This record gives sequence, C-alpha cells and structure tokens, in this order.
Amino acid sequence: MVVTAKAADGKELGKVEKHYHPQATNCRDTKMRYGAQWKVANLRDTSLQPAQAKKESIEFDLPAGVREATVTVDLFYENVNPGNKYSIHSITRKVSLDR
Amino acid sequence: MRFLKLILILLFMAVPLIASAEKAKTIDELAKMYDSSRCKECHESIYKQWENSHHARPLMGVKGGLMLTPLATKGATAFSPDDPKKATIKNFPCFKCHLPQAITSAEDSVAVELAEALLAKDSTKVAKLQITCIVCHNTKAIIHKRELGEPKAGVLYSSKAVDSHPDGIFKKVEKSAIMKDSVYCGQCHGLGPNLEFDQAFQCANLYGSYLHSYIPSGASQTCMDCHMQKGDHLIAPNFNDDKGTSELLAKAISLDVQTLGYEWLLKAGTYVPKVVVNTKITTTAGHRIPDG
Ligand code: HEC
Ligand code: HEC
Ligand code: HEC
Ligand code: HEC
Ligand code: HEC
Repeated sequence: MVVTAKAADGKELGKVEKHYHPQATNCRDTKMRYGAQWKVANLRDTSLQPAQAKKESIEFDLPAGVREATVTVDLFYENVNPGNKYSIHSITRKVSLDR
Repeated sequence: MRFLKLILILLFMAVPLIASAEKAKTIDELAKMYDSSRCKECHESIYKQWENSHHARPLMGVKGGLMLTPLATKGATAFSPDDPKKATIKNFPCFKCHLPQAITSAEDSVAVELAEALLAKDSTKVAKLQITCIVCHNTKAIIHKRELGEPKAGVLYSSKAVDSHPDGIFKKVEKSAIMKDSVYCGQCHGLGPNLEFDQAFQCANLYGSYLHSYIPSGASQTCMDCHMQKGDHLIAPNFNDDKGTSELLAKAISLDVQTLGYEWLLKAGTYVPKVVVNTKITTTAGHRIPDG
C-alpha cells in the first residue's frame, strides 16, 4: 500500500509505504529471503489475516502555509519475481484545513 | 508344440504389465504416464479451465519464469548439482508439491533431462511436466493409506463414485474420502518449513494459515467452497491474467479510507497542520493474503 499526500501544485508532501506479507530468513543469518530454495521459516508476518481488519493511521505534517492536500491511497499486489504489479484499489481524497 | 505356444502367450501378456510398473526414464515418458489430454473429449469445460490454471504449469513460475533454474545451476542453491548430468530426483525437493509424480514414477535420468532443459531455457520441454487430472484424481486422492491402501491403477477418485466410467484406462471412479476436504489441498499448499529434508526450506504455507488463523476465527468453509464453485478447475487466481487477477482481488479485498485535516496543538502557541489518513483493509479469504 502506498499513501501519498500532494499539495495543490502537485508537490509531494509525504509518502508512506506499507508492505503486507510473510517474511522469512534462512535461519542462519538475519537477512530476509525470497525464493523457496533459500527461505526456511517466517519470522514476521504482516500479511492480511482472515477475519481481521488491517488498520493504519498515517499522519502527514504540512509545511507552513499549505492548507490543502490531495491524498491518494494505492493498494496493489506485487509479485517480486517477475516484477508484476496487479492494481487492486486506488482512492483519492482532497483534504482541507479550512471549513 | 502346444506347450511352447502357451509360454509365448504368457510372455506377451506379461510385457505391458511390467512396462506399467516401471519408472519413467525421460520427461516424455513421465508426461505420457500421467497424460490427461484424452479427458478433454468428454470433460471439455473442466479441461479448458485446468489448462489455464497454475496446476497445469507447476514448473513454469509466473509468466514462464522457469523458477527451478537456480536448482539446476551449480553453486546457486544448496540443492544444485555440480553438473546437470549428475542431477537426481533429490536435487529437486520442490517435486514434493510441484510434481509429486516425479517422486513416485521417475528415474533420476528425468532429473538430468530437466536440469539440462532448465539451463538451456527449453520452456517447451519443462512445460510438459504438469499436475494433471490423473495426479489429482489418482496419486493425491488417498491419505489414509494404511487403512485404504495405495491409489489403484485404472481407478480415478472423486467426491462421488461413478460405477462405469467410459474412459479406456480409468474404467471406474471411486469415492475419495478427502476430495471435499481442505486437507486434500493441504497436501501441497504447505504447513510451514519442510523439515523432513536434510536441508530445510519453505515454500507455500497457506494451509498452515487456514488451519491456525481461519479455523480459529470460527469459520468453516473449505478450499473447494471458495475456489471450486460449480466444479471450477481454473482454481483462481491465475497470475498470468493481469486483468482477471486485479478484478478478483478487488472483489476479495476491500479498502476503506477516511481522512481528516486539522491543526494539532503541539504546545501552547505552536500549531502543526496535519492530515490524517485512516485505512482499513479486510479480505474474504480463508487464509493469509499473500502467501509465500
Ligand atoms: C468417453 C468419455 C470420457 C472420458 C474420455 C473421460 N471421462 Fe470422466 N466421466 C465421463 C462420464 C460420462 C462421467 C459420469 C458423469 C456423471 O455421472 O456425473 C465421468 C465422470 C468423471 C469423474 C467423476 C465426477 C464426479 O461427479 O465426481 C471424474 C473425476 C472424471 N470423470 C475424470 C476423468 C478424467 C481424469 C479423465 C481422463 C483420464 C476422464 N474422466 C475421461 C466421461 C468421460
Ligand atoms: C509444501 C509444498 C511445496 C514445496 C515443497 C515447494 N513448493 Fe513452491 N509452491 C507451492 C504452492 C502450493 C505454490 C502456490 C501457492 C502459493 O504460493 O501459496 C507454490 C508457489 C511457488 C512459486 C511461485 C509461483 C506461483 O505460481 O505462484 C515459486 C517460484 C515456487 N513455488 C518455487 C518453489 C521451489 C523452487 C521449490 C523447491 C525448492 C518449491 N517451490 C517447493 C508448494 C510447494
Ligand atoms: C488440483 C487438483 C485437481 C486437478 C488438477 C483436477 N481436479 Fe478434478 N477435482 C478436484 C477436486 C478436489 C474435485 C472435487 C470438488 C468438489 O467436490 O467440491 C474435483 C472434481 C472433478 C469432477 C467433478 C466435478 C463436478 O462438477 O462435480 C470432474 C468431472 C473432474 N474433477 C475432472 C477433472 C479433469 C478432467 C481434470 C483435468 C483436466 C481434473 N479434474 C483436474 C481436483 C482436481
Ligand atoms: C499436487 C499438489 C497440489 C494440490 C493437490 C493442489 N495444489 Fe494448488 N498449487 C500447487 C502448486 C505447485 C501451485 C503453484 C504452481 C505454480 O508454480 O504456478 C498451485 C497453485 C494454486 C493456486 C494459484 C495461486 C498461486 O499462487 O499459484 C491456487 C488458487 C491453488 N493452487 C488452489 C488449490 C486448491 C483449492 C486445491 C485443492 C482443491 C489445490 N490447489 C490442490 C500444488 C497443488
Ligand atoms: C472463505 C473463502 C476461502 C477459503 C476457505 C480458501 N480460500 Fe484461498 N483465496 C480466497 C480468496 C478470496 C483469495 C484471493 C484471490 C481470489 O479471490 O481468488 C484466495 C487466494 C488463494 C491463493 C493465492 C494466494 C496468494 O498468495 O495470493 C491460494 C494459493 C489459495 N487461495 C489456496 C487456498 C487453499 C489451498 C485453501 C484451503 C486450504 C483455500 N485457499 C481456502 C478465498 C478462500
């Protein structure tokens, strides 16, 4: 998931990425591995779990003078090998500090 | 004279029996042993679904990536042979799930031929090795072998029996005890590290997630309930189909976004303009997404 906040002129104000997947090492060092032939066991699992919502609360501090931002949340599925991306959802919201 | 004739007949009858008990020496022989192309005649729509499924290309990876290549490449993995000519079935522990018939029915010469084909990027040859109808409806259909015995030659297994099956070789279909059960798919979809090998490794462990996260949530659907509705054999997702996969995932995964803009009071007189983005993702799957 990539969450981006942009100012009215298109300038990027902030970007946060969240990666949801099981993560494994070879249990001989501390490097994460991809590839069945090198992985031995998961040591962390941030993947989406059945019957559990995955919630985030992401904050962007705006620079002085900026009172509006366009926020885009892109959710996609990535297949590291061969580098394939499958888009799932893209949601854009305009957020203003004025009312 | 009569005596001799009798012996000759016996010999002729014995030949095909011996041949069928022998292991395959080449990729072509192994492919032929499990060849399911004739099933297409009568089970056309199931066959077409299967042809587009990952089960029909278990050694090809996503988009023809030939993922077993490192295992054939000297020094690339702990499993790789020094020379493809010395490859054995043991150099490919992946066969446990990606090609179970290689373990029961192939000589080491098949591993040599595969290693050479991988190094030569001979996709056509590698693609001949598939999880065919027969692998699923015979080889993997019995897990209670002490009670029920090995899968029988000439018999298919399914969730229901068919007394007289019009195929030339598989003349009947018996009821499998597990083909409506998640444990059936669990045979290959992994519990965690494969610890039975002399070099442990891990691929799929989605069945572990089903057992330890989905079931405890109080849910009870099976893999077939969600993935094989109306006997569907595409058993999606099909990662070679970008559009179809995106659509399927968009249905299965929902994203809720709520935003807020305000000025946070850090300390007296110091306001920090802030945008807060709250996201919530839920899925309808019966296990983790993604796996592996
Ligand atoms: C000549 C036609 C024909 C061929 C060839 C054929 N089948 Fe069938 N098959 C049938 C018919 C007819 C049925 C019975 C359908 C019924 O009664 O529900 C059947 C039933 C089945 C069933 C049981 C379905 C169930 O309801 O659970 C399976 C499994 C099956 N076939 C698999 C195969 C496989 C695998 C092959 C190839 C090795 C094959 N068939 C080849 C005609 C054929
Ligand atoms: C416990 C069974 C099992 C073993 C052993 C196994 N795999 Fe897998 N593998 C699977 C299953 C099932 C999938 C697809 C589902 C998934 O990824 O959750 C898969 C997927 C893959 C994929 C991704 C391709 C795709 O279509 O999603 C690669 C690459 C792969 N395996 C490589 C290997 C290699 C290399 C080995 C041997 C070192 C190996 N696997 C051993 C079961 C296994
Ligand atoms: C990955 C394993 C797998 C493969 C490969 C596979 N099947 Fe099946 N098949 C199953 C399972 C499991 C069922 C039982 C599903 C159920 O009852 O919910 C089934 C059910 C069937 C049925 C009964 C369908 C119905 O409508 O009730 C037929 C017929 C069949 N398979 C034929 C085939 C043929 C032909 C092929 C090859 C083209 C094939 N299968 C490949 C696992 C497989
Ligand atoms: C003989 C072992 C075997 C059995 C039995 C089996 N699978 Fe698979 N399955 C695999 C392998 C291996 C792959 C990955 C193939 C590849 O590399 O693309 C796979 C791929 C898949 C995929 C595609 C997703 C992906 O990541 O590649 C789905 C979905 C799937 N299987 C579901 C099932 C279901 C549901 C059942 C039970 C009805 C089942 N499988 C039974 C071995 C098996
Ligand atoms: C409650 C429904 C449900 C159950 C039960 C279920 N699945 Fe799934 N599965 C899904 C959904 C939804 C997806 C996401 C893609 C899609 O819509 O097909 C998925 C995706 C997958 C994938 C691709 C995983 C990845 O890495 O992206 C595999 C492989 C798979 N399932 C196999 C299985 C097997 C094997 C079982 C039984 C042990 C099973 N599923 C049980 C609903 C289910």
